[in-house]
Amino acid sequence: MSVTPEELAAYVDGELTGVAADRIAQAIAADPQLAARVEAEQRMRATLKRALDPVLAEPVPEDLTLMIAAFAAAEAEDDMTDAPVIATAKSSPAPVVDLAAARARHERQHPALPARRWTKRWGIGAAIAASLVLGLAVGPQLLSRGPVRDQGGTLVASGTLARGLEIRLAADGPGGQSLKILASFQKDDGDFCRIFEAEKTSGIACKQDGAWRLERTVATGTRQETDYRQAGSAQAELLNAAQAMAKGDPLDAERERAARANGWTK
Amino acid sequence: MGTDRFCEELTALLPRLRRFARGLTRDAADADDLCQQTVERALRSRAQWQAGTRLDAWIYRIMRNQWIDEARARTRRAQTFVDADQGAGVGTAGHQDAENVVELGNVGRALGRLPDEQREAVMLVLVEGFGYREAAEIIGVPQGTLTSRLGRGREALLRELGEMA
Repeated sequence: MSVTPEELAAYVDGELTGVAADRIAQAIAADPQLAARVEAEQRMRATLKRALDPVLAEPVPEDLTLMIAAFAAAEAEDDMTDAPVIATAKSSPAPVVDLAAARARHERQHPALPARRWTKRWGIGAAIAASLVLGLAVGPQLLSRGPVRDQGGTLVASGTLARGLEIRLAADGPGGQSLKILASFQKDDGDFCRIFEAEKTSGIACKQDGAWRLERTVATGTRQETDYRQAGSAQAELLNAAQAMAKGDPLDAERERAARANGWTK
Repeated sequence: MGTDRFCEELTALLPRLRRFARGLTRDAADADDLCQQTVERALRSRAQWQAGTRLDAWIYRIMRNQWIDEARARTRRAQTFVDADQGAGVGTAGHQDAENVVELGNVGRALGRLPDEQREAVMLVLVEGFGYREAAEIIGVPQGTLTSRLGRGREALLRELGEMA
């Protein structure tokens, strides 16, 4: 009974079943040379696996998991109403409820996000990853709609930006919105502040006397795939500035929601 | 499959995808880049995945195609470089070989000597455990082509790694 190398290989690879497999098995049992060949094949496989399997045990780079988590979060939000930036919390409470539900759902499914450490809490990796995946955020260009006005020499947010700062949560994730909240925190004096990223401008805004004062702004930078480091550096700059301003850690999801319910007042 | 489920399964596949990438590239940094590009592509083209088909095979195909594109681009760059240097013979390939030794030892060297088409066949069947049919579909060739590439790759590896055990 002759067995071709291809048949033997198919047998070792588990491609043969039933009668065909039995025939090869019998041939191997009867022929020490075939048996030696099968053993060599199996040793070779084992050698390959020994070299490559340790990769399975390596920690997966956070970039990858964050990119996927950000994508999932963005899609989850797209399923919700996209009204939150348009409607105010007071006139239309429904979007707030939906956002809270989305956040809760996201946390249930991705308990590791958001992480508790400062650097992780900012969600910068996720924001970058989402930019990679989603490309440029769509939506009204904030600056052309006059999101900032001068109030007695201080820049305060108005219009869409003000409403977004009031309503959106960092835990919402970036979504397809033109405004993303990267994190929220409290200053030494207790004022609530938010790090935001809009299409053209990113910055830190703090609520004081009922208005969102822009403490710091930077150009958002190009959010295209090849330039993601650039976008990241703008965020890193804001992160450093915020860390210097902040008292304690950034707000966790619960405190952020409570602060929103309280109108971001001390 | 909803997005959440899709993303969960994609996340669960990451360790295996990294192993496949390491085998294809034989370099840890290149493999991570390849994974990154693959996941981006998979998320972007999620709508093209057909429910009821194997998600892992679909993503392996994306990775494999991405690597082919990358390998072609490298060959072009290497050629340009050599031309400019009037045949000095320094290209990315030589550099990469030096790193392989560190990453995967003898196995990396042996895999590195295989033609690309044999290496991917070996990786898919012998390491990743795909059946002939799935592996042929991932590569996009008839099953007979797959088995013949696999056979040649296997012979070469047996010669090189045979005595190691």
